[in-house]
Amino acid sequence: MQTVATDVLVIGGGATGVGCLRDLAIRGMRAILVEKGDLTHGTTGRYHGLLHSGGRYVVKDPQSATECARENAILRRIMPHCLEDSGGFFVTTPWDDPDYADRFLAACHATGVAAQEIPVAEALYREPALNPRLSRVIEVADGAADSFLAAHANVASAREYGASALTYHHVVELLHVDDRVVGALVEDLRSGELKRIEAAWTINAAGAWAGRVAALAGVTVTVTAGKGTMVAMNHRMVNTVINRCKMPSDGDIIVPIRTVAVIGTTDTPVPNPDVYAIEPEEITFMLEEGAKLIPGFASYRALRAWAGVRPLYQEEPRLADGLRDAENRDISRAYKLLDHERRDGVSGLISIVGGKWTTYRLMAQETVDRVAQRLGNNRPCRTHAEMLPPPADEKPPTGGDASRFFWLGKPLADVERAADYGDLICECELVTREQVQAAIDGGAANLDDIRRDVRVGMGPCQGGWCIYRTTALLFERIANAHDGDATRFAAAIRNSNAALLHFLQERWKGVQPVLWGDQLRQARLDELIYVGVLGVQRLGDLAESGDAVVTDHPAIATERLE
Amino acid sequence: MTAYDTIVIGAGLAGLIAALRHAEQGQRVLLLAKGYGTTHWTAGCIDVLDAPETGDDPSAAIEALTVCHPTHPYASAGLANLVAALDRLRALCEAANYPLVGDLRRNVRLPTAVGALRPTCLLPAVMAAGDARQLPRAGSVHGTLVAGFRELRDFFPPLLAANLAVQGYAAQGAYLELPPTGRKRDFTSLTLARLFDQPEFRAHVGRQLRRLVKQNGYSHIALPAVLGLEHAPEVVRDLQAAAGALVFEVPTLPPSVPGIRLLRVLERAVIQAGGRLQIGAFVTQAKGRDGRLESVSTAAAARQQRHHAERFVLATGGIAGGGLRAEPSGELRETALGLPVRAPEHRAAWFSPRVFDGAGHPAFRAGVAVDRRFRPLDLADGVAYTNVVVIGAALAGVDPVREACLEGLALATAWAASDIG
Ligand SMILES: Cc1cc2nc3c(=O)[nH]c(=O)nc-3n(C[C@H](O)[C@H](O)[C@H](O)COP(=O)(O)OP(=O)(O)OC[C@H]3O[C@@H](n4cnc5c(N)ncnc54)[C@H](O)[C@@H]3O)c2cc1C
Repeated sequence: MQTVATDVLVIGGGATGVGCLRDLAIRGMRAILVEKGDLTHGTTGRYHGLLHSGGRYVVKDPQSATECARENAILRRIMPHCLEDSGGFFVTTPWDDPDYADRFLAACHATGVAAQEIPVAEALYREPALNPRLSRVIEVADGAADSFLAAHANVASAREYGASALTYHHVVELLHVDDRVVGALVEDLRSGELKRIEAAWTINAAGAWAGRVAALAGVTVTVTAGKGTMVAMNHRMVNTVINRCKMPSDGDIIVPIRTVAVIGTTDTPVPNPDVYAIEPEEITFMLEEGAKLIPGFASYRALRAWAGVRPLYQEEPRLADGLRDAENRDISRAYKLLDHERRDGVSGLISIVGGKWTTYRLMAQETVDRVAQRLGNNRPCRTHAEMLPPPADEKPPTGGDASRFFWLGKPLADVERAADYGDLICECELVTREQVQAAIDGGAANLDDIRRDVRVGMGPCQGGWCIYRTTALLFERIANAHDGDATRFAAAIRNSNAALLHFLQERWKGVQPVLWGDQLRQARLDELIYVGVLGVQRLGDLAESGDAVVTDHPAIATERLE
Repeated sequence: MTAYDTIVIGAGLAGLIAALRHAEQGQRVLLLAKGYGTTHWTAGCIDVLDAPETGDDPSAAIEALTVCHPTHPYASAGLANLVAALDRLRALCEAANYPLVGDLRRNVRLPTAVGALRPTCLLPAVMAAGDARQLPRAGSVHGTLVAGFRELRDFFPPLLAANLAVQGYAAQGAYLELPPTGRKRDFTSLTLARLFDQPEFRAHVGRQLRRLVKQNGYSHIALPAVLGLEHAPEVVRDLQAAAGALVFEVPTLPPSVPGIRLLRVLERAVIQAGGRLQIGAFVTQAKGRDGRLESVSTAAAARQQRHHAERFVLATGGIAGGGLRAEPSGELRETALGLPVRAPEHRAAWFSPRVFDGAGHPAFRAGVAVDRRFRPLDLADGVAYTNVVVIGAALAGVDPVREACLEGLALATAWAASDIG
């Protein structure tokens, strides 16, 4: 069995885990991250995409609001290429208490969240699709964020500092010496191989799965999963994030991001973070709420729906007192740092659960502060000060400072500059052959990973054309790597078939809740292509996962309850 | 205002064949359609029915269906009407120098662009050499070359060849050099088809094929179905002569060049027979009285146009064609005449959780129910309009994609419905 030794092992490749990895690496600690799926396989890849200004929390959770506001400013500095500087409005609709806006403004002031009331007429001028019956509008510094890009950028930066990240590596056991966790036994899901990673400290950043990871050390961490559903609409009716100006609840935010606008979300407890359904009532509800902000919302084309699970940490009543010691007092209620040595008498393990994407860097900083202190490393955190590296294929900005941020026309501008029209694999999202190949070379294990990396299959046609093309490119890439080895070559085609069938099934899950109107017609046209013209349903016996392609391992399977 | 004998709504295979039949019977025919039908999307073959249970014999499968599923549209249409329609189509294509081959008693399996083998009944002669039974098996001295162009993103030779290879065929994929075209552009199947119509272009490709055949002894060559829009048989003949091997087309992703060829043959035939075609005319309203449809209205540039006729043929297709449309509320509508649609009662029952469920998805079997004479039924099973017939994919009780019968269904029902009149 392969054994590797490191200072710190990070479990979980979501925002929190990759944030920790980068911070550890910059401070000079040796670190390895393991993630059972692709990066952002968990909640980070299924969230709403909002870079919070803090506004949402000013009344309900002032400390979170302040943290969001600070982190928002930091993230704008360190990762502009992952963000859209859309700005945000909090709007009072006829269904909302008109006095909340005053409370809201006062709370913004108290928490340090920049906010300014603007005339309704100005808001309507800037966003003509908004409900003309709004009574008040307050502008904040919300933005839209690409969590896939950000995760990759964090890992790329960590790698520059010598850290490594292993995707499709599932923690199956934590290694113990007496009451000390000394690393983990992980399974490489591509090869089935087991590896031993020995580490002085282990950070459990497994999100909604953190309870399961902690249980491997015999520690009880009660994390319940709260499911939130979102719907992407095939249109940016607004270019500004729109929030209802009221106490936070369901279906009250619309985030314009890339080519779509996403409405969300809901919050329903589910017993298992891997098993949940999207209910038709949730979709109907969200479309109705959307129409309060943007009249006619439901008549736009819904592209797909998905859900993510919030890890809700439940305080152990027995231990609540212990947690209020001096060191824990300053930790926000929105997330929890659990030092298992203090809490449970198990050393070498620390868990970080909850929080938001927007505050991932701060959470990582606090976690790494604690680990560094134990390891006798007293270098300060620098993740707020160093820019994250843009992707390798990133072209330098064309214009002024604003173009450091992502903007809607950017992919087209890039394609035009390179005159890449003939090489577009996905016309909806303007993805080129080069980008798809880079994603494959970057370790994508199936078409869904490529989708997350470069957005093939995310547009209106939901992969009608590009998924056939991407399958072919994936096959050509893995087949070339095994040129001359007949067995591996034969495996390559079976793997590619498995990847294609897996993607089509995954996509079906995403579109099924919103199949009516044009999107149902699209699904039928896609069926005409894939079943009628290509006959892919006949490839079932010729499809198999393998070391190049992972599609059906139980550790990463998600099931939808029907 | 002209009154027509028959107005056909929909310009897919069903609508065009119906319009042709009526025009050939000497009627004044108007065909209204908001656009073309699914011919641009399909393989350009005539799928009659997937028939694994009857040893790939679709005619036997249809006869079995007539007994077991008497409400299936094929049962009402009857085999004789299918035969007659296929004969007419064959004659038309023959006359247009685009012959079809195949036999109603035996499906052929043809490689698709992923390398799966799909069954079809009649196929353009330019695809005939792809018949899987004739393709060289692994270990034989010959083999199939699958060739294409990197510039065409809707056809990938290595993928196709590898899937043929795992199924026991001798096949290899290769990219050809695109003959010089003078400018850099975005190549779709249609741009390439127009280029292949030019003799110099295909001569350049032919020389490359010859080299590869000489080196590797291929007996068959699969190429994307872009071998000419107007002169496909000639293009294939030239390529075969140059290469010294049998050449066949494999359908690409849409737009489907073979589908467009079929459409053009039919469109020209309708016009020649005296029919009038109005494409871009979206039927938005229907006016009837006493169980008869009197007129339909189309939305044209800034005004409504009303069209009167004695008889109407609804051939607007299913969900893909736009003949049926689902509301968010879970109601399915027939879009042109507002006829009642038979569908699963609740949206919850529309789909199977498995995308490739062998039974398909119930929503895609929804459609307009008809009597034995293809007249639309209301929800109480009474005839909604006595002078309307419904044909093709708009009909209830069939999933033309899953059953692999899209074209056969269109032809058989069009023929049957225009006979009964
Ligand atoms: C519906 C919804 C909408 C949201 N919207 C926003 C928003 O708009 N803005 C915002 O700021 N925040 C938002 N959030 C919050 C934000 O998404 C999360 O706080 C954040 O993504 C959590 O990141 P994480 O890294 O802690 O967890 P995760 O992203 O879940 O990462 C945990 C990772 O651990 C891996 N893992 C688990 N077990 C193992 C194991 N045994 N071995 C190896 N790996 C393992 C998982 O695969 C997973 O990838 C939203 C949350 C939800 C649920």
